[in-house]
Amino acid sequence: MSLRKDIAPPFSRILIANRGEIALRVTRTCRDLGVEVIAVYSDADAHAAHVQAADEAVRLGAAPAGESYLLADRIIDAALATGAEAIHPGYGFLSERASFARAVVAAGLVFIGPPADAIDALGDKLAARRTAAAADVPVVPGTFDPAPIDRADAIDEIAAAADAIGFPLLVKAAAGGGGRGMRRVASVSDLPSALVAASNEARAAFGDGAVYLEREVRPARHIEVQLLGDSSGDVIALGERDCSVQRRHQKLVEETPAPGLTTLERRELHGMAVRAARAAGLSNASTAEFLFDRERRFWFLEVNARLQVEHGVTELVTDLDLVAEQLWIATGRPLSDRARAAAERALAPTRHAIEVRLAAEDPSRDFAPAPGRVGKWAMPAGPGVRVDTAIRPGERVPPEYDPMIAKVMTVAGDRRAAIAALRRALDEVEVTGIQTTLPFDRALMRDERFLDDDGEGLSTDWVAEHWDGAADRRRALDVAVIAAARSADIAGRVSLRKDDPPISPWRAAARAAAIDRRPR
Amino acid sequence: MTGSSRSLRVASGPATAHQDDPTSVVASDEPVPASHIVHDGEISSPGPDGIRSVEVIVDGWRFVLSVEDEARASLRERATRAGAAAGGAGGALEIRAIIPGRIASVAVTPGESVDAGQTLLAVEAMKMQNELRAPRGGTVMRVPAAVGATVEVGDVLVILE
Repeated sequence: MSLRKDIAPPFSRILIANRGEIALRVTRTCRDLGVEVIAVYSDADAHAAHVQAADEAVRLGAAPAGESYLLADRIIDAALATGAEAIHPGYGFLSERASFARAVVAAGLVFIGPPADAIDALGDKLAARRTAAAADVPVVPGTFDPAPIDRADAIDEIAAAADAIGFPLLVKAAAGGGGRGMRRVASVSDLPSALVAASNEARAAFGDGAVYLEREVRPARHIEVQLLGDSSGDVIALGERDCSVQRRHQKLVEETPAPGLTTLERRELHGMAVRAARAAGLSNASTAEFLFDRERRFWFLEVNARLQVEHGVTELVTDLDLVAEQLWIATGRPLSDRARAAAERALAPTRHAIEVRLAAEDPSRDFAPAPGRVGKWAMPAGPGVRVDTAIRPGERVPPEYDPMIAKVMTVAGDRRAAIAALRRALDEVEVTGIQTTLPFDRALMRDERFLDDDGEGLSTDWVAEHWDGAADRRRALDVAVIAAARSADIAGRVSLRKDDPPISPWRAAARAAAIDRRPR
Repeated sequence: MTGSSRSLRVASGPATAHQDDPTSVVASDEPVPASHIVHDGEISSPGPDGIRSVEVIVDGWRFVLSVEDEARASLRERATRAGAAAGGAGGALEIRAIIPGRIASVAVTPGESVDAGQTLLAVEAMKMQNELRAPRGGTVMRVPAAVGATVEVGDVLVILE
């Protein structure tokens, strides 16, 4: 129940069709607005934080997403059975399936996101390319129709299109995202196998095997624009984010504003994004992604017709709650004055926010997944720090879902200060039990090339060019060996009395060492 | 406080080991270099062989290390070597899972000879297919991993001769 008597909440209860940190993050806004929350969960998440934070929770099925979070009918049934008025899809899972948005509306519920037709026009990358090109937005050179891979005689036709684009190029899934269903092709001889592999991966991940060809714009920065639109067709840009530091085409770090853009470039970029969105009939929250090449040209990549993982940094600099804006827009309200004012300010940014995505991955093994059970789990706090996570000490990170386990964000007056705060915040992070991307994040925030404020050093090739995870790990191992020896030795020799406070053997060793080092 | 210094042998345990991780001998009272962020995790009680397993996080890197008394370790090693010589154990290489997940595909069968770098199988975890390649050439002796099976870190997937 809302404590605010002045404003009625946008909905009385909604269902959140997601899990993890985003489900929890949406729940929090609902609490703030006085909206009740229905959670859904798989067997892997029965005791998860997002379930416990909800007013009610409905089990969907077994752990694999295909048997739980992707079951559109079951989710809609759950919403109807629990009296929810609307469904928030979060990101991933069903968030960009037009068929789901349509089914939600057909069931008499509100879909908190862009209308199904806009998801069709923008969520599908091929349709998005056509829409953007028609709106006079420069798109990455490539094909505009699915490659006819099911026709045995079509390979020559595809090869000719590939030659026209030039190698190396990318085979991309029309329904894709996050690098899944994507293959880099260096020469025409690799094309057939890449088409098949990308198509199979796309069909497995998205239920749609359509693929197309696109020039590889490289080196480039990845810069995207946060968009918000209402049902009248009005669309505004709430600033841009630089998300260049990636691995496997998945973002590791995001910041806003994008470093080094001129006011003119920023205005041009926001304008292109708004044009593409208007042409597609977009409303609610979405993000237009661009590549920014070394000649300082922007190339439209795609639109994510949903709330983005990295929306938090935009919230930090705009003081908006984008989920709250989404809820109000979904009720049919026009864009808020708050949001309009933020869009004005976004053209001349006066604050900077930056985020790292902490993932259960091994950054010394090409960021291979490292699920498992977390032991200790301590997240940072303090001035300018925001952490979005659903992990708690002792929690299991299931192998069935995305490896991202937390977003650590900071905000300050300028980029240097935001990075300094993030460096400090990351030093406060303590996670045992699983390997995380923390070593990479800490190293990056100390790397002079990344600290450069003009953005010239940023590139989607950052990890490949600058990160030697094995060497970084090896240096740490030398230290770990010494710490382990001390730790084991002390644990073996000192027996604590039962009423002693719990003391960490390592800290005891460190303390002893510190005392030993004092001049006498 | 901790008494006199001992020599300890520290090695990477199977949960976090990389192939080229060294085994180190360190003094039990060697000071930890400053300017690193070190967190301790689980410490096991010593097993019957006197080996402790210690989880240490250094600058975000997680290690599960085995620690044993150096004198005892070399004694044990000599015994093992003698046993191995008597038993005539060959140079089989066990290839273990470095990530938990589900076996998505197996590309080799027993008796097949493989080159270094050849794909042996793929483990699916967190929506990604992770290919496991042969660290060296050899003949496949056994493939304990079956398609669809769930594996944990350290499980033997393929044995090369």
